[in-house]
Amino acid sequence: MDRRSGKLKAFGSYHPTVLMIYFLSILLIAAFLSNPVLQTEALLGGILFCATLQRRGDGLRDLGFYLPLFLMVAVTNPIFSHNGVTPLFFLNGNPVTLEAVFYGIALAVTVIGVLLWCKCYSRIMTEDKFLYLFGRAAPKLSLTLSMALRFIPVFLRQSRRVSRAQKAMGLYAGKSIPDRVKNRLRVMTAMISWSLEHAMETSASMKARGYGNKGRTNFSLFRFRASDGALLAVLLLLLAVSAVGAAVGVTAFSYYPKVSVIPLSPDALTVYAAFGILSLLPSIIEGKEAVVWRFYRSRI
Amino acid sequence: MKKNILAVCGIALILAILINGTQVQSVSEYYLTHIDDLTPESERVTISIRCDAIFPHYDELDPALRSEEFLPPDGVILPPTEYRLREGDTVFDILNRAVRQNHIQMEFQGAEESPFGSVYIKGIHYLYEFSCGPLSGWVYRVDGAFPHYGCSRYTLRDGQVIEWLYTCDLGQDAGAKWIGGREN
Repeated sequence: MDRRSGKLKAFGSYHPTVLMIYFLSILLIAAFLSNPVLQTEALLGGILFCATLQRRGDGLRDLGFYLPLFLMVAVTNPIFSHNGVTPLFFLNGNPVTLEAVFYGIALAVTVIGVLLWCKCYSRIMTEDKFLYLFGRAAPKLSLTLSMALRFIPVFLRQSRRVSRAQKAMGLYAGKSIPDRVKNRLRVMTAMISWSLEHAMETSASMKARGYGNKGRTNFSLFRFRASDGALLAVLLLLLAVSAVGAAVGVTAFSYYPKVSVIPLSPDALTVYAAFGILSLLPSIIEGKEAVVWRFYRSRI
Repeated sequence: MKKNILAVCGIALILAILINGTQVQSVSEYYLTHIDDLTPESERVTISIRCDAIFPHYDELDPALRSEEFLPPDGVILPPTEYRLREGDTVFDILNRAVRQNHIQMEFQGAEESPFGSVYIKGIHYLYEFSCGPLSGWVYRVDGAFPHYGCSRYTLRDGQVIEWLYTCDLGQDAGAKWIGGREN
């Protein structure tokens, strides 16, 4: 199912090399730059792209996970970090400061932005694309990595299956909280042995198919077309502007001990614009394809 | 249903214990310390806080701290000040009283969280460990000597002089010789 959805999408149909460079650059910038404008842009791009990749119901269910996570990260930081010039109150003799609250919020924005982009990554960069890119150069490492990257989605899918099976057998079918917790724990123990076994079986099966041998072809073949080259050029240009701007320090921003002013020089604005376009690129491509599709259908 | 109530009670109990162990003070409450009267016969100690070791390493300092607001031009955060010594006061108690009275920001890690069984001072006046290079942080000296244990385990005597010094190379610029294996 993942593979199909990854291929049907306009952005997912680009060459794996372009996609890999794109995701790596977005993730690195989003994770390591502490500028509120860039962080917000990465989060917005992630939200929009995720929205185009999944059904609306899934998006609402995600909200139930990301909102508590947001609050948890934002609240945890001021409890453990006490730097900052504006104390709000004192906890066991250490100050809880406004700056730490701001930093917590910024951290939450970053964490959720990166998580959303990773989610998009796993939807778009399916295993066959990953193995196409790295399978030849480093077969063992790339198989391990691709198994590790898809571990959590596969784990969740299987644990839902096990849980349903247990419920059908009438084990811990009670509605009370302790019953549900016990059910989860039972599923968890089953899942640990299953995942170990699954990893072994996967590698054995790959070996049986001659994976890593000389002269083997890939499951999926990709051709580097002119549109891939165009996207790669745009992407590298935007990446260069953002990376050079950040390295020179035009977007430098600090939260401690005092929240600094958001840099708004022309250079900084250029970097914001470049990174904004970069993070919106997949959503723009998806949006354009959707419009074209509507247009063609309206002509029928 | 009974199980649910039990689970909720259990969680409430844990929360109650956590909240009970937490002390919340407003800003004015925290800084509200009555000054001890220094009488001629009272025991007293002197404390000072300095960060002048930063100036030779200014290029390593965190750019966010490079202003007079955070780095006093003479490197003196607290000039030598006398405090009345109460029974059993440690270096940490005096420091805590001094920063509260002078509205100096301070962050510490409690003795129960530290592997050394003593309070660890992470930062004073927004100057933190690692704010000025990888070997920087706060050290203390009593009567010119560097004790080999934490500040909340050093019980003070009458007339002792405490100095809190910011160091940029594990205390060597402040005069500590523990790196070379010799004690001073």
